[in-house]
Amino acid sequence: MQTSNSVSANSKPAKAARALREALGLIQNPLRIAPLISKIAADSVRPALSPRHLYSYSTSKIPTPDALKSLIGWILRAQRSDGGIAAYYSFLTGYSDSYPEVTGYIIPTLYDFAQMTRDNALISAAEQATQWLYSLQMPSGAFPAGLHNSKNTPQPSVFNTGQILQGLVRAYIEKRSAEALRRAKAAGDWLASVQEPDGAWSGAGAYQGQSHTYYSMVAWALAQLAAESGEKRHAEAAEKNIDWVLTHARPSGWIDGINLQGHPSYLHFVAYLIQGLLECGILRGRNDAVAAAERAAWSLLRKFETHKRLAGTYDTDFKAGQKFACLTGNAQMSCVWLRLFEVTGDSRYLNASLKINDLVKQLLPQNSRPELNGGVAGSHPLWGAYQPMRLIGWGAKFFADALMLEQRILQRPESRATASVKPLDVDPPRFEASPCAS
Amino acid sequence: MRVVVLCSSPFSETGCAVAARLAQAGRIPVGALSLSSWDRQTLLRKVGQWGLGDSIRFARAKVGPTKANRQQIRNTYLQKMLAREGGVFRSMFEVAQHYGFPVKPCADQNSPQAIEQLKQWSPDVGIFTGGNILREATLKQFRLGVLNSHLALLPEIRGMSSPEWSVLQGVPLGITIHIMDAGIDTGPILLRREFAKPPDCDSFPDLRNRMIAAGIDLIVETLAALEAKSVAPTQQTSQPANVRAHDSQYYVMHDRLKALATRRLREMRPSTSRNTADHAGLHNG
Repeated sequence: MQTSNSVSANSKPAKAARALREALGLIQNPLRIAPLISKIAADSVRPALSPRHLYSYSTSKIPTPDALKSLIGWILRAQRSDGGIAAYYSFLTGYSDSYPEVTGYIIPTLYDFAQMTRDNALISAAEQATQWLYSLQMPSGAFPAGLHNSKNTPQPSVFNTGQILQGLVRAYIEKRSAEALRRAKAAGDWLASVQEPDGAWSGAGAYQGQSHTYYSMVAWALAQLAAESGEKRHAEAAEKNIDWVLTHARPSGWIDGINLQGHPSYLHFVAYLIQGLLECGILRGRNDAVAAAERAAWSLLRKFETHKRLAGTYDTDFKAGQKFACLTGNAQMSCVWLRLFEVTGDSRYLNASLKINDLVKQLLPQNSRPELNGGVAGSHPLWGAYQPMRLIGWGAKFFADALMLEQRILQRPESRATASVKPLDVDPPRFEASPCAS
Repeated sequence: MRVVVLCSSPFSETGCAVAARLAQAGRIPVGALSLSSWDRQTLLRKVGQWGLGDSIRFARAKVGPTKANRQQIRNTYLQKMLAREGGVFRSMFEVAQHYGFPVKPCADQNSPQAIEQLKQWSPDVGIFTGGNILREATLKQFRLGVLNSHLALLPEIRGMSSPEWSVLQGVPLGITIHIMDAGIDTGPILLRREFAKPPDCDSFPDLRNRMIAAGIDLIVETLAALEAKSVAPTQQTSQPANVRAHDSQYYVMHDRLKALATRRLREMRPSTSRNTADHAGLHNG
């Protein structure tokens, strides 16, 4: 998630002003104090109750379907009256305004869960979200940066347009609506038109005006669009970006160029980069992209299995940074590992995903206030550096995606999306020379 | 040959069984270097692994009144090795007293005190049955190295939950005796044997116990072969660990996969050929 295109938004005075504004929120609504204290106390005590040793991993007694239901429940409660979905629920200030980027890529999650449960309320929520996004599209085809706020002049954002494109493409797939396809194509055309000759996106529409390799997520969205529109320019734009991303790969598996100023490379962004590269690689049949994504994902798997957790931030060559857990990044890596299990058949990916899913599951608030139940915190503990004191919409989205993928793989249903799943009754191939993209 | 047994606790049944089996084969260890039992980390690990009830029963069997608890062993396949007149060895102290060698408890097998003790013993070979991840400074105190009995075939399956992963990945069950190095199960291989699943074995704890017992026999066999110079270490090929296809390290298996592996274990056709002992189904791999 990106909150603004400008560098100044991450300056120290800006951060201090935000912190002060949030703290004032608590004074305005003292009823939030009790849940805040309760969550802080729980997060403080938890490490003492979870001894880590060689044979351990975090376990959770919460069944996956129950966790999924509470996650989706949280997302539905975060849907605002305009149809958009709030970026977060703050323990200090309550729900944020609707957030276009997150609303866009939550749409596929809502449709996936609707297919799983045959719940029409979810389809209706996805349709409302889609209609709201239609109202925000700019004449250029782009979507605006930041939270929905009519006071500011909308600025086009490459990343947000890419993320919303995922939702538009899915809305088209579900409804075969000409409007959804027309709008998706307009967004894709705009993305292709502002792409640099080398395949990167930089300048006014890019976060902090810089190019970023985690915009591989935009390439993935363009590849999804190309699969539906059949238009060469969308596919070419996706592949051109992937080519550019691959020039940043290092022998360790690390991929440079996350390039964030004013804050470190949170796991969330590292995982974005890997997920975008992997999914775009799969869609476009690019084994080089899948192999690069796998190398990075494998390095993180080894770290997770050795240390029983992933760090909140990483630096070049996967040097672990801050110790808090970036729960969204954990959920994203679960999605990546599960997809790599599908691609390679290596059960070690599934094993790591099951463990990390258990780890995140046990941190979901339960039996609490409705706005908290099923929410995924930005950080664990709550006061960690990434989105402190907040339950975040994209955390719930990625964790729901991970749990649905886990269920699909373990239940082996027949569906288009999981056609490549290798049944667990068949021994997966071992020590194969290279992964193959479907 | 001067042998030192390294164990995770004076009450480690595997450690006691190795020391007793070596002594029974005429190779009384020059010493045993054991981690202390009563630190918080060890206690929590055991409770986590076995559950509170089993942990209490184990503690009672090891330190409770002698008469009431003499026959209690967790791994019953070690019964023959641990047997003594009137009962079983309950701790390394009892084995050591019986056969006449010293036991030195330590907080860390890599500590300067532990290394100093090893220097005094001047061992040719160490037998690792548990404890710390051994550092280079500790490993080099042994003239020929420290042997480990790994419960899977190397180099195919390295790391944790190795019998479970062998079954899940379709690799034959096996035991490898190798010399430890700084990596995880990456050291030179001395002996590698397949292990046929006994017909009445249908759970991993049971399989693991049988393999531990069989591994101790293999260690004795390997020591004899080392002394006779009839075995030479074979280096494992070094591969970049950050490439999955070249990385054969496995990690603790999640319960969901363990349930699947258990199902496959039960479906495995037992092999009764070439069993060498009542607890094991070893044959040349």
